[in-house]
Amino acid sequence: MNHDSSNSKTLRWILVSIGLVIQFVLIGIAIKGAIPHDEVREIPDYSPWSEEVIEVAAGIPVQEGGRVKPFSTYARFKMLSFHGDLTLEVKSGDTVHKIGPTEWLLDCLFRPDLADKLPIFRLDDTDVVKPFGVKTAKRRDRISMTDLMEGGDANRNGFEQLIDRGRELMEKLEGKKKENFNEEEKREQKIVEFAQLALSYRGFTDSLDLLRGGLPPIDASKLKYLTPEVVEALKSVAEPTEFLFWMPVYRQLMSSLEEMPREENGRLPIEYGAFVYEFNRQFEFSKFGMFWLPPADDKEEAWTTVGRMIEPALQGGVQNPERLMDDYRSLESVVKEARRPNSSEFLDALTVFKNTQRDRAAGRDEGDIIDSEISYYERNYFMKALVYFLIAFIISAIGWMVMEGLAGKGIFWSTVFFYIVGTAYVSGGIAHRIFLTGRPPVSNLYDTIPFITAVAVIVLGLAEVLTRRRLLLSMGAVIGVIGLFFAFRFEMGDAKDNMDPLRAVLDSNYWLATHVVTISIGYSGGLIACFLSTVYVYLALAGVMKDPQGFKRFMTRAVYGIVCFTLLFSLVGTVLGGIWANDSWGRFWGWDPKENGALLIVLWCLIILHARLAGWVKDWGIHLLSIFMGSVVVFSWWGVNMLEVGLHSYGFIEGANSVYLFYGSTVAAMLVSAAAWGVERHQRGQRKLEKGLKGGQSD
Amino acid sequence: MSEPKKISWGVRIFRFFASFQLAVVCLSLLFLLTFFGTIEQKWNGLYGTIQKYFDLDSFIVIPTLASGKVIPIILPGAYWVIVVLSINMFLGGLLKARKGWKKAGTLVSHFAILFMLIAGAVSSVSKEEGKMIVYQGKKSDYAQMYHDFDIEVFRYDEKGDREAPAIIDSKFLADLEPKHKLQAAFEKFDFGFQIDSYQKVSELALAGPDSMPRDNEEIVDGFFIAKAEKNVKEEGMNMPGCYVTVKDKDGKDIQRLVLWGGNPFPVSFSYEGSRYGVCLLRKIWPMPFEVELHKTVGEYHPNTQIPRWFQSDITKVFDGEREDYMIVMNEPARHGGYTIFQADWADNGDTPYSGFAIVKNPSDKWPEYALYIATVGLLFHFLFMLWRFAGGSSRKKSNPSAQ
Repeated sequence: MNHDSSNSKTLRWILVSIGLVIQFVLIGIAIKGAIPHDEVREIPDYSPWSEEVIEVAAGIPVQEGGRVKPFSTYARFKMLSFHGDLTLEVKSGDTVHKIGPTEWLLDCLFRPDLADKLPIFRLDDTDVVKPFGVKTAKRRDRISMTDLMEGGDANRNGFEQLIDRGRELMEKLEGKKKENFNEEEKREQKIVEFAQLALSYRGFTDSLDLLRGGLPPIDASKLKYLTPEVVEALKSVAEPTEFLFWMPVYRQLMSSLEEMPREENGRLPIEYGAFVYEFNRQFEFSKFGMFWLPPADDKEEAWTTVGRMIEPALQGGVQNPERLMDDYRSLESVVKEARRPNSSEFLDALTVFKNTQRDRAAGRDEGDIIDSEISYYERNYFMKALVYFLIAFIISAIGWMVMEGLAGKGIFWSTVFFYIVGTAYVSGGIAHRIFLTGRPPVSNLYDTIPFITAVAVIVLGLAEVLTRRRLLLSMGAVIGVIGLFFAFRFEMGDAKDNMDPLRAVLDSNYWLATHVVTISIGYSGGLIACFLSTVYVYLALAGVMKDPQGFKRFMTRAVYGIVCFTLLFSLVGTVLGGIWANDSWGRFWGWDPKENGALLIVLWCLIILHARLAGWVKDWGIHLLSIFMGSVVVFSWWGVNMLEVGLHSYGFIEGANSVYLFYGSTVAAMLVSAAAWGVERHQRGQRKLEKGLKGGQSD
Repeated sequence: MSEPKKISWGVRIFRFFASFQLAVVCLSLLFLLTFFGTIEQKWNGLYGTIQKYFDLDSFIVIPTLASGKVIPIILPGAYWVIVVLSINMFLGGLLKARKGWKKAGTLVSHFAILFMLIAGAVSSVSKEEGKMIVYQGKKSDYAQMYHDFDIEVFRYDEKGDREAPAIIDSKFLADLEPKHKLQAAFEKFDFGFQIDSYQKVSELALAGPDSMPRDNEEIVDGFFIAKAEKNVKEEGMNMPGCYVTVKDKDGKDIQRLVLWGGNPFPVSFSYEGSRYGVCLLRKIWPMPFEVELHKTVGEYHPNTQIPRWFQSDITKVFDGEREDYMIVMNEPARHGGYTIFQADWADNGDTPYSGFAIVKNPSDKWPEYALYIATVGLLFHFLFMLWRFAGGSSRKKSNPSAQ
């Protein structure tokens, strides 16, 4: 019999090991898949921006996504969209410089030649750039604009080839539905998307070229509609190589060029042709870039770029030329002083520009949260909370070995301390977001992650107070770590500013505060139940509990209670969603994927509760079904968004392989659960047999 | 030895329909139907999937994959599963359930959910919905249904105005397949129609060097109707199309016409000296009131295409009585069982217009009432359970359970 018991123990540990290996492999794949090849580039002439410059730049107001935000926030999400990360490392000499979003955007705007050398483009599939002769190290890699431009051939560099090919393919794919693309078309679509990304990068870097000068020199005396007196007068304002020189006489310039005698090939003389090309290029690119100039007219809401600001002036229709010239000169001064990036002159020019725009924004009742928003990102609430939960978990893990005596108490209260600090940080982050957005805690997909994590840690913390088993706190800490890591990865991958305003139909604080919050609490409950059951089956299978039956009873009751909690919030949240839909779209229930996802959770909870009442499932059955509930919740939370259909089109996500990995993980846990159940049944059978044999012998 | 007590068939049937087991089976079937009915929307569209899985006349459901391959599971239609579940809930959750204050919460929540399901059933059989487009400064007294298409035939009078139309109702067209031919006669006209090659999702194409029929479609007056790819994301973009042969009273062919649901203009033909118009259009739904649109405003967040605010100032005229409303997102106007929502807004440089979704649903507010009742019931029940859990054996008093 001892031999059997030993075999059974070995089998249990083999099963536990297999289950854990599968789960860790899946987590590893999810993490590895998100990290591209990174190298520290050698850029000898790179010099970092001073702290003062970064601080001043961070506070410049910019309008984007329908709201006024700090330059640093704008830079953060732009950098994420290109780079998929918030830092970029380069080496000059022996020094490695860490470049953050604000520094990177400063480089793009004021040192574009240097910015081009930074490996800013994250490529998940480098095959996209191979046709353009770009060299890459691995399938996932990061390349710079210089890498791209060094590709190509003698006629066109890699960037030009990419843009031309992107245009061709865009025309080819126009009108076709993405979901019907074949493999070839999917590859072509990736080229189109990368071409658009590269072009938008150029939109940044060249958006201030107009203020840098560099127009090819031309002989102004050959321009028909410009008198020598006017030319002389203009020279007192600016050089002919500067855009500003031509601004007051734009129409005369264009008319003169139009009537200028052509060469034999029908083109303008070469120097004029070069001038026109560069003039138009500077002007067109100046319309891109940042909307960081508030409109002169207070009734106007839309901020403007340099190009858009001067466009009416070129047509002779500007209403406030003094204001326009102030802005132009102020920005021009910043651009020119940026040739010495860490000089006091540059800092002064940047400070003047920032203060002017901040004052104007304040005069329009805009940008009042800029400083608070900067501090929100600086405080990095969620990452700090993650660290505290990690510490809490590590301490609590030590506590499983030392539970008695003073040491045990000390460890427990240390866990409690770090757990509370972690909870305070995650709650503080959510509260700060509420303050910044003026919306309830959950208003988009990103918000759901910290909120659901916060609910889970609070619920498990309270459950620990009720039960005092020192187990739920550890589980809460693990959920805190996983949830906040996921929030961090999602923000990196999504690269969208989730504090931007909502579309009209969603912009209802009443419904966001009721339906969305309630349903998110329901999600949280479902995930807690799944997690508790997963932990339970591993512990039960490993057979490490002192009182297995008591522990089983406790865990089953706890999971049952959490299922009830999930049902309550999911049902109420789902029906509230229906009532909102009825008020917005005129129907309570439309079998929309998001609605169905919520319904699936409700149905699954009801299946668990009624199957128990029917006597079809007991302890193990409840845990098995509860683990599967994790997949149901993740399908509702993320999976339905990947279908990209329905009226809830505000939450679509692409390429969320992590979702499939989570499904895989729950399947692995369910298999472990089934195995544990089987082992327990087998052992029970063995014990009965033994008892029967002993009884027979005594008879 | 006493004989085992005989159980009547009535009791057996009652027990079966009131059992937890039946509840679990129904809930599981509903779970599967909802799951497959969700993922299938990706390739079958929302409307098509609802019809297949959740409609009253859907008895058997076989899920399909994107490739069109069948998943070998036969499921009952969701509507009928819900009917059985409702019976089960009534018998098991209300009649058979133990009564007492401990069970009060579950009783109340079962009642509320049953009420909600009934609201759904009432809505499913009696709800009507359509869309009314009104330009600023104009009025309208009709909406158009979203999915049903009629064929309207009318005569033009001497002035060129339309007379009252004869209608081939959508119910005759809904199940028409391309190979079917439908004969239609009209009381007020002595000519008839033969409708053929009816495509539920079609495009009207102009025959030319770059666009010739691929499946031998007939070209009439330079146009032909071709089968189109279904737009699964925007059901409203799917337009039917067909060919019509106009026949005289002796059944002789007079003219061949092409009708397409997206064509805003009628197709005309002449018969015995009169001119007639025909169109395939979304079913007209006359309203008992008139809507005057005084002002419609649409705003976007600056420098974006994200809608911020839509507003329509309307007057509803009913039986000569005028009533003013302001309709904004999430705040519709309600009148006599009709609800008017802001659904669309556009300003293409000319006169702006509002698209109002109009819904007539007698059970409009029932789910809301059911929610309040269910919340109270569930809260009572679960708080009671929590109290028992917290006060029970779950609290560890001494020996820790984990090593």
